Amino acid sequence: MIQFKNFTAAFGEREVLKSMTCNLTGNSITAIIGVSGSGKTTLLRVLCRMNDRIENFHIKGNILIGGKDIFRPDNNVYSLRRKVGMIFQKPCVFPISIFDNVVFGVREVTKIPKKDYPDLAEKVLREVFLWEEVKDRLNEKATTLSQGQQQRLTLARTLAVGPDVLLMDEPTSSLDPESTAAIEKLVISLKNRHTILWVTHQHDQAHSIADRVLVLKEGQVVDLPAPIERQENPSSLEDVLYNS
Amino acid sequence: MTAITIEKVVRVFIAGITFIIIGLLVSIFSIMFIKGFPAFHDDFLFAESKDFGRAGGVFYQSAGTLILMTTAVLLSLPVALGSVLFQTEYLASGKFKTLLTQLTYLLNATPTILFGLVGYLFFGVYLDTGVSWVTGSMILAVMILPTLQVSLREAVEALPQKYREAGMALGLSRSSQIRRVILPQCFYGIVTGVLLGLARAAGETAAIMFTATTFSGIQFPQSFSDPVPTLQTHILILAQEAAHPESIAQAWGSGLVLLGLVFILTLMAWLIRTRVVMESEL
Ligand SMILES: Nc1ncnc2c1ncn2[C@@H]1O[C@H](COP(=O)(O)OP(=O)(O)OP(=O)(O)O)[C@@H](O)[C@H]1O
Ligand SMILES: [Mg+2]
Repeated sequence: MIQFKNFTAAFGEREVLKSMTCNLTGNSITAIIGVSGSGKTTLLRVLCRMNDRIENFHIKGNILIGGKDIFRPDNNVYSLRRKVGMIFQKPCVFPISIFDNVVFGVREVTKIPKKDYPDLAEKVLREVFLWEEVKDRLNEKATTLSQGQQQRLTLARTLAVGPDVLLMDEPTSSLDPESTAAIEKLVISLKNRHTILWVTHQHDQAHSIADRVLVLKEGQVVDLPAPIERQENPSSLEDVLYNS
Repeated sequence: MTAITIEKVVRVFIAGITFIIIGLLVSIFSIMFIKGFPAFHDDFLFAESKDFGRAGGVFYQSAGTLILMTTAVLLSLPVALGSVLFQTEYLASGKFKTLLTQLTYLLNATPTILFGLVGYLFFGVYLDTGVSWVTGSMILAVMILPTLQVSLREAVEALPQKYREAGMALGLSRSSQIRRVILPQCFYGIVTGVLLGLARAAGETAAIMFTATTFSGIQFPQSFSDPVPTLQTHILILAQEAAHPESIAQAWGSGLVLLGLVFILTLMAWLIRTRVVMESEL
């Protein structure tokens, strides 16, 4: 589903990803861990071409999503970003109503008629388990929601434009345990229709939700063995993470 | 000298300068008040001027100033906003951006009499629009363009990156991004910029003095090619009539009105800006 082929990403001279080659299967959750500054965010951002406009950022090699090279000049970057949605570490809702936030991206997709918006909003809000909490206050400002609710709202907003791939950059790091559990449960429920990349700093979280755990180190990804294998060889996690 | 004594000296020095500035401001304001207040008889603000400005009020002059300023801002705003959005949203190259920024600052520091002169030669003489509303507001528009541009760019650049990225990640094209994220989120910042532009336009005298205004005899301009009476011209002409004490008093009065106008605009800009800062901290 997602293929990196000799992919290099660099800010000026500093290569963050170094001719990385890797295949990610569709409809699964891949967790990405790695020390701070190892390039996890960069890895997600190149997938939806969010770094295109950073001045000294450049890439080599290819990334294929669903067999199509996302960097080909004839590829429409705006429709790519609708197919590859990104959720940020800190939820960022617009200071407008909850409803308007949910359909914010949908208004750009002209083939969805306006009269379908309420149904669509309800559908995605149910998907993120937020509907019951907000159904009576859809016209209130989204900024009045709690952090955890806001994060689920941004997810609903992204789901509303119909992405195939979901990129989540430490989506639970600013949330309390309950909201974190809610988001984790939610992401697992989304996996049968979406390909999910989840960046996290918590290894237990990575193992409990993901089908595959990748460690990003020195611009390369390596598979992290499943926890059972590791128990036999307790030092291997630290080995993979911190030693070369 | 130890670091601490240097620190003390610097502090005293800065405090001194601050006091001088505050003192200057206070004395200007009080002189304006003391001299200008006697002119505020009956309805100075809402009466027509009489007897070549020696009596009556300054209604048409104040209105003329507002008309001229507003037209100038209306002409200038689309250009300024367009160029700001071009710089912040479309231009990728940092070097070119810096160059444009430097140019704007340079333009902002250009003595306004030069704008007036060039504007007069271009609009008034070359295009032959004469001493008129249109000439004056065009020149003013050009003159406040850099000010407007600087404050609009500050407003747009102050927008937290997260809003841009949220819009981008939802697949908004650049034009939708501008229409749906940048402009609504920066609305108050833009209004602040416009108010500061208006205040700046009110402060400009040199350029419009000989291109847009006449001293007396007219009320509201009937067409774009008519001249407009303004407070600035009113003050200048009256102040030269040293032989008539009543003229001088009227000049001070008009000065106070102009000062009040600029003060109100700046105050409004400041209030809105404070509100914006509070909102962005949410
Ligand atoms: N806009 C940028 N300009 C220049 N360098 C950048 C930029 N963004 C990231 N980098 C650099 O790229 C490297 C990887 O950064 P990235 O944000 O991808 O790390 P990360 O793994 O997400 O870290 P964290 O866990 O702290 O979020 C870092 O060395 C960082 O300094
Ligand atoms: Mg990161």
